Amino acid sequence: MKGVWGKVLKVDLTNGTCKAEALPDKVYEYFLGGAGMAAYYMWKECPAGTTAFNPANRLTFAGGPMTGMKQTGAAKWTAGAISPAFNLNADSAATASFGIEMKETGYDAIVVHGRSEKPVYLVVEDGKAKLKSARKMWGKNAYETEDMIKDAEGGDFEVVTIGQAGERLVRCANIQTRKKSFLGRCGLGAVMGSKSFKGIAVRGSQNCSVHDPAEINRLNKEINRKVAELDAAQPEFLQFKRLGTAGATQLFAPQGNLPIKNYSLPNFPSGEKNLHGTEYVKKLNAKPWPCKYCVMQCHNLCEVKKGPYAYKGKGPEYESFAMMGFNTMVDDIEAVAYACELANQYSMDCISLGVIIAFAMECYEKGVISQKDTYGLPLKWGNAEALVEMTKKIGERAEGLGYLLGEGCKIAADNLGKGSDAWAVQMKGQEIAAHNWRAQYISALNYCTGVAAGPNHERGNSQHIWVAHVRLPEWGISEVKNEERWSWENAPDRNAKFHDYCNVINSSCHCKFHEFRGYTLTDLVNSINACTGWGWSTDDLRKCGERITTLQKLLNMRYGWKKEHDFQYPKRFMEPVQEGPAAGKIPVGLDEAIIDYYKVREWDENGKPTPGLIKRLGMEEYT
Amino acid sequence: MKVKINTKEREFPPGTKFIQVVNIIREANKDDPVTRSLIEKTGGDHITFILNGRIVRPPEYDSIELKEGDDIRWIHPYAGG
Repeated sequence: MKGVWGKVLKVDLTNGTCKAEALPDKVYEYFLGGAGMAAYYMWKECPAGTTAFNPANRLTFAGGPMTGMKQTGAAKWTAGAISPAFNLNADSAATASFGIEMKETGYDAIVVHGRSEKPVYLVVEDGKAKLKSARKMWGKNAYETEDMIKDAEGGDFEVVTIGQAGERLVRCANIQTRKKSFLGRCGLGAVMGSKSFKGIAVRGSQNCSVHDPAEINRLNKEINRKVAELDAAQPEFLQFKRLGTAGATQLFAPQGNLPIKNYSLPNFPSGEKNLHGTEYVKKLNAKPWPCKYCVMQCHNLCEVKKGPYAYKGKGPEYESFAMMGFNTMVDDIEAVAYACELANQYSMDCISLGVIIAFAMECYEKGVISQKDTYGLPLKWGNAEALVEMTKKIGERAEGLGYLLGEGCKIAADNLGKGSDAWAVQMKGQEIAAHNWRAQYISALNYCTGVAAGPNHERGNSQHIWVAHVRLPEWGISEVKNEERWSWENAPDRNAKFHDYCNVINSSCHCKFHEFRGYTLTDLVNSINACTGWGWSTDDLRKCGERITTLQKLLNMRYGWKKEHDFQYPKRFMEPVQEGPAAGKIPVGLDEAIIDYYKVREWDENGKPTPGLIKRLGMEEYT
Repeated sequence: MKVKINTKEREFPPGTKFIQVVNIIREANKDDPVTRSLIEKTGGDHITFILNGRIVRPPEYDSIELKEGDDIRWIHPYAGG
């Protein structure tokens, strides 16, 4: 088969062994790679009863058939495991160059299990793999660890690492690469920490053969031209290469989509002014910091030269900006960027962290916690110093509140009591990202029904129908009216399609942001075909998405998902805001929409795949 | 005459100008909150139009006459995660 090696690296940390394993073509044809590959290994090797911190948990790092084709956006890669946040199937994607380099070692994926007695990191070079001591790195932050691994192995290795938050099992701990890209959601960094596994270094020189190199060249040129021209056609304040995704705040404000004051307020004028894209360029000195082969260049390198928040490094993206700034009402752009960078170094997901700190601020405001609990900090809304200091306390898992908040706001609320669960904006244990359910009801349905990575804005990004005007015409989502934001009529069908869409994107390992500049499902399937020679249609691609979604659902059933979990959504979104674009809007009818979603998916009334669906998808062996 | 707009086929009389389609799309989107906000703040909606894979610049809108089978795509300004 073309486009993949048909081979993965299996790493047993308990026994300290590494070995290659062949994979049949059918696995790729059914599940592509990336998120699908991670789910496949969980299905194959992780029995019922396995939880996130159990050594049996499989942590799979995988690229896809498009990895290495040198197309803009095709630098993505994915990792998957059982999540510490919600103990179900989870995956998260990052970019930069790690996935490409991993494939050049001669493996499509690295599957890690077991638990090492002492801290270790993995080195993979052109088919050879070895575990090495990470004793000196334990206790270091994620960036220091990357530097130490590169010093030891060579600067041209691509590296992933965790910081102290991962080691100390903070449930929103992430995994980073190149100090700029993160497997942000689902707490996979804590899975690494639980295995005493500090990082991976890869270096390769092998090129995987593809089906039609000439067609790949043609597609790459055509897609590069389209994406770059479309970005250049936008005014400066909307160009990705100037603002990255942080520019979205100015577009989301008029839709009521921003998370403000723990999702309780409709607007935040000083935030809109001070956390605006133009301030981002001016005060943070943002410059493009592109991923490999990318012409969109949404990552930024920022620099604050002086003051208490001086730093040089990754610029916050929209989600970080919104959750750490708007949601905590901190409008000091330098403080927000600095706190995000601290979180990155500790290896924590800024989405969850922003919700957790906002939750703590609400607890403080309502007297559930006091200054005695907050290390003397007045944990008030908008307090920039408190944002920065609490980031440190959670990253370090400081005794007391820092430790408790490291468990996530669900467990924190269970411990704190006094009605604080009403302010814990989470579902199934994972905090909600920066898309407001009141602005488009489909976000609520996505979170309740998602199976790829728990409640997750990037694993069923149906909010983009409205907030980004993304359509999937090849799958029947073409014309959509603005008023449909608050209608359930087509929401189940659209939501199912976006769940499958995200699964094929995250399994082929392409960047979803290209959809904002005209990258289509046709472009995606043409690219997959040029790599593999499968000759798929966009309908075949949908079927592949359905298979991956179904496998993830079967996994969740194995690990303890129950129907009632889909209906335990955050109470906060059932409280209307009184003004702004989404005034008075709450997703009434959500329960019925969830049931309708089950029907659209060919799941039974209990949310389980029907025998008919399993047969149609040819998945009998997976049940 | 059949013309595709964001992949959906629409019927137009022969001789239809590109600007007419631009106006239809702009009219259909004028109540969109982002469009409204951008018009208020910048004077323009910043929708980008693409004809048969090529971006069409505003000065060209008036001069282009549509042909059978033309493929028009329009992209809304957006940046966000």
